[in-house]
Amino acid sequence: MRQETLRRIISFALLLVLIVVFSTTTDSFLTPANITTLLRECSVIGILSIGVTITIITGGNDLSCGHLMGTVCMVFAHLYYYTSFSLIAILLISLLAAIAGGLLNGVCVGLLQIPDFVATLSTQFIFTGLTYILAIRNEYGQISAAQINNKTMVALGGQIPGGLYLVTLVFFGMAILGQIFLKRTKHGIYIYAIGANRKSAEYSGISFIRTKILAFVISGVCAFVAAMFTIGRYHSNEVATGQTFALQAISAAVIGGAAFTGGRGDMWGTVSGVLFMQVLRNGMRKYGFTTQTQAVVSGVIIVLMLIFDAYYNEFMQKRSRRAAAAERENKAVNGNG
Amino acid sequence: MDKAILLEMNNIEKIFAHVQALDRVNFQVRRGEVHTLLGENGAGKSTLIKILTGVYPKDGGQIFMEGREVNIASREDAAALGISVIFQELSLIPTLCVYQNIMLGKEFSRFGFVQAKKEKKKIADLIEYYGFSLGVNDIVETLSVAQMQMVEILKALAADAKLIIMDEPTASLSSHESKLLFSIIDQLRERGVSIIYISHRLEEVFKLSDRITILRDGKIAGVVEKNQINPSEIIKMMIGKSVSEATASRMLRQSEEETVLSIQHLCCLGAYEDVSLEVKRGEVLVLTGLVGSGRTELIRAIYGADPYDSGKIELEGKPYQPQIKKAVAEGFGLIPEDRRTQGLSPLLSVTGNVALTNYDKISSKGFVSKAREEELGRHAVRLVDLRPPNPNVLAGNLSGGNQQKVVLGKWLTRNLKVLLIDEPTVGIDIGAKDEIYQIIETLSQNGVAVLMVSSDIAEVLRVAHRIIVMREGKIAKEFHTGIVTQEDILMASSGLDTEGEV
Repeated sequence: MRQETLRRIISFALLLVLIVVFSTTTDSFLTPANITTLLRECSVIGILSIGVTITIITGGNDLSCGHLMGTVCMVFAHLYYYTSFSLIAILLISLLAAIAGGLLNGVCVGLLQIPDFVATLSTQFIFTGLTYILAIRNEYGQISAAQINNKTMVALGGQIPGGLYLVTLVFFGMAILGQIFLKRTKHGIYIYAIGANRKSAEYSGISFIRTKILAFVISGVCAFVAAMFTIGRYHSNEVATGQTFALQAISAAVIGGAAFTGGRGDMWGTVSGVLFMQVLRNGMRKYGFTTQTQAVVSGVIIVLMLIFDAYYNEFMQKRSRRAAAAERENKAVNGNG
Repeated sequence: MDKAILLEMNNIEKIFAHVQALDRVNFQVRRGEVHTLLGENGAGKSTLIKILTGVYPKDGGQIFMEGREVNIASREDAAALGISVIFQELSLIPTLCVYQNIMLGKEFSRFGFVQAKKEKKKIADLIEYYGFSLGVNDIVETLSVAQMQMVEILKALAADAKLIIMDEPTASLSSHESKLLFSIIDQLRERGVSIIYISHRLEEVFKLSDRITILRDGKIAGVVEKNQINPSEIIKMMIGKSVSEATASRMLRQSEEETVLSIQHLCCLGAYEDVSLEVKRGEVLVLTGLVGSGRTELIRAIYGADPYDSGKIELEGKPYQPQIKKAVAEGFGLIPEDRRTQGLSPLLSVTGNVALTNYDKISSKGFVSKAREEELGRHAVRLVDLRPPNPNVLAGNLSGGNQQKVVLGKWLTRNLKVLLIDEPTVGIDIGAKDEIYQIIETLSQNGVAVLMVSSDIAEVLRVAHRIIVMREGKIAKEFHTGIVTQEDILMASSGLDTEGEV
């Protein structure tokens, strides 16, 4: 069986096991309210991890997506507070800021050939710095939380008829769009090609630079969407928004089967990874685990998944080599006999 | 059949750092012809191909494609002219499926969306036309090597290739898979596609080729039509009369010393099987044969770098279970195949590299003695005669020959019992080669048992006391006494010597 198929089965099976366990052992897990809350809580990370998955498939990573999201939130808050621009204009400028951030990452990685890890680690600092520069300050010059009570924005944080939160709907919608992009468009296929075998993709006329830039710009757009729903949910913004989100988004993608070596992963995997992390966190809370314990458990599970990836690949390679040799042996015996 | 000339390369010249790699080479390929390029390593085959595919610029001469003079400056230029290469190392995207790989970079698309149905139809038709057993939706990483080669060939055909270059295509195929490839080649030929075929396996070359061009030392040594093929003549052309007596043949001798390393029935599925051999004190035993015959895997297993499935190894008469750490302590040394990635650490100095194998001698209680380390570095530089004799220069900045001397120095500074050597002189200039052979000779005089892998026949005949030829993972022939010539070894490694078969 292919690594991906097995990984898919494992991550969905784990998710199912968790859901069954939590549903049967606690009363408060399988309730409509808990489910919609659970889905709401993972959606912002989920939207970020859609972009992150695409960068991971190109053989890279985006450690800065959460920080970029924080900056975009602050761009929005800053314009909302200090200018009299219309909401449309503010949204547009925020989107442009997000795209610019993605472009910066893409240029560093694609054009300047800086390894993704180092490039996005550095831009983390740039984005955080910008967030502080743009922060809302009170009359004493101290940074203060920004209240944003615009009706449209508040509506973004709300529910749709049926109880589901709008953000969840958007998360699933974007995942579907992402899947269509990856599997049905030529640039989606190029994302896989560059990640799995850069040299031969380039020999086929695919531009490494353009593919990388595209991946990071998509990640930037995801950061924008995530930022708007974050503001919609909390009606305010702080400088610390999003600072820890990148690692959560990356873990979700990895649990869903995206491999750091590139060329593997898709949106179904990532959605299952996002849900898995959130169900786990939600259930552990129901069990009364402390936040610290929850973190340790999540970490252990990620490590186990990575160990699986490493050994499974090696194991499968060995097995297929042996199978080929055995086949050869058979053929030789039959041929001579 | 149309026998017009498709490709003509006239008076091609290429010079690398004052070495004439190609000297006025003329090479012609007809339409629908399988034309083999034959020659020993370094004869200029790959240089010629690289010029044809735009990897290297030519230093002189002209290339005509379909009678028109062309300028090939890049792989894209070559592809636009219908010249495709099937590489030894396959260049597919493992996680994409067959049709996506074939259409990569040339997708049928509308508004950026791939028209998968149309693509699949085209590829399915192509697969049917050539009668391959392959599904358009198969994921490439699940295919066998032979099927991946089919995908590569289809990729060339989908790009309207008129000329397909196959570089050692059977090196990683089983004999059954090879037969399949040959039938594919027959079909391509029938449909007017020309093929430049490169292989060291003379048997298949003689069966397959319509014509053979033999290269030697960057010059054309002969062009032979199918009906004039005569194996021993062709081998003579490959080797040439110009070789000096010293490397044309060698007088072998059986060593009377005691056995140091003994291997019995060693097997590793897919690499080698039932290999038994002994290396005696002070003996240089050379394993030769074609690439992919299991030699490297064998010596890596003896060193403990790779596992093996079954068999026994004995060191000085006692059972020995390979493990790298133990190997170093027991007096094993390994000069690996690729010195840059496996032999040395390019960011460390000569001293630093030599120290890597000697920390047991230069450290105590976990602390390294700087003085002893430096003394060791100077000692190693003297042992291998490094020039300039500077132990502080970074290994990565040295020439290939000096780098290999450093790798030797790592082991010469220890009391070795067995030295395992894998292709020690690849990419090294002639002067340094000779020095490395002298070092190996000195080692053997000092009683070290040397087990060496080499594909360079001149080198084999220069250093070997005894020669074992491997073919497809098995010992095909052993030469232990009397005079052995280059012809003998070439015949044995390509499977043309019937008397060698049991």
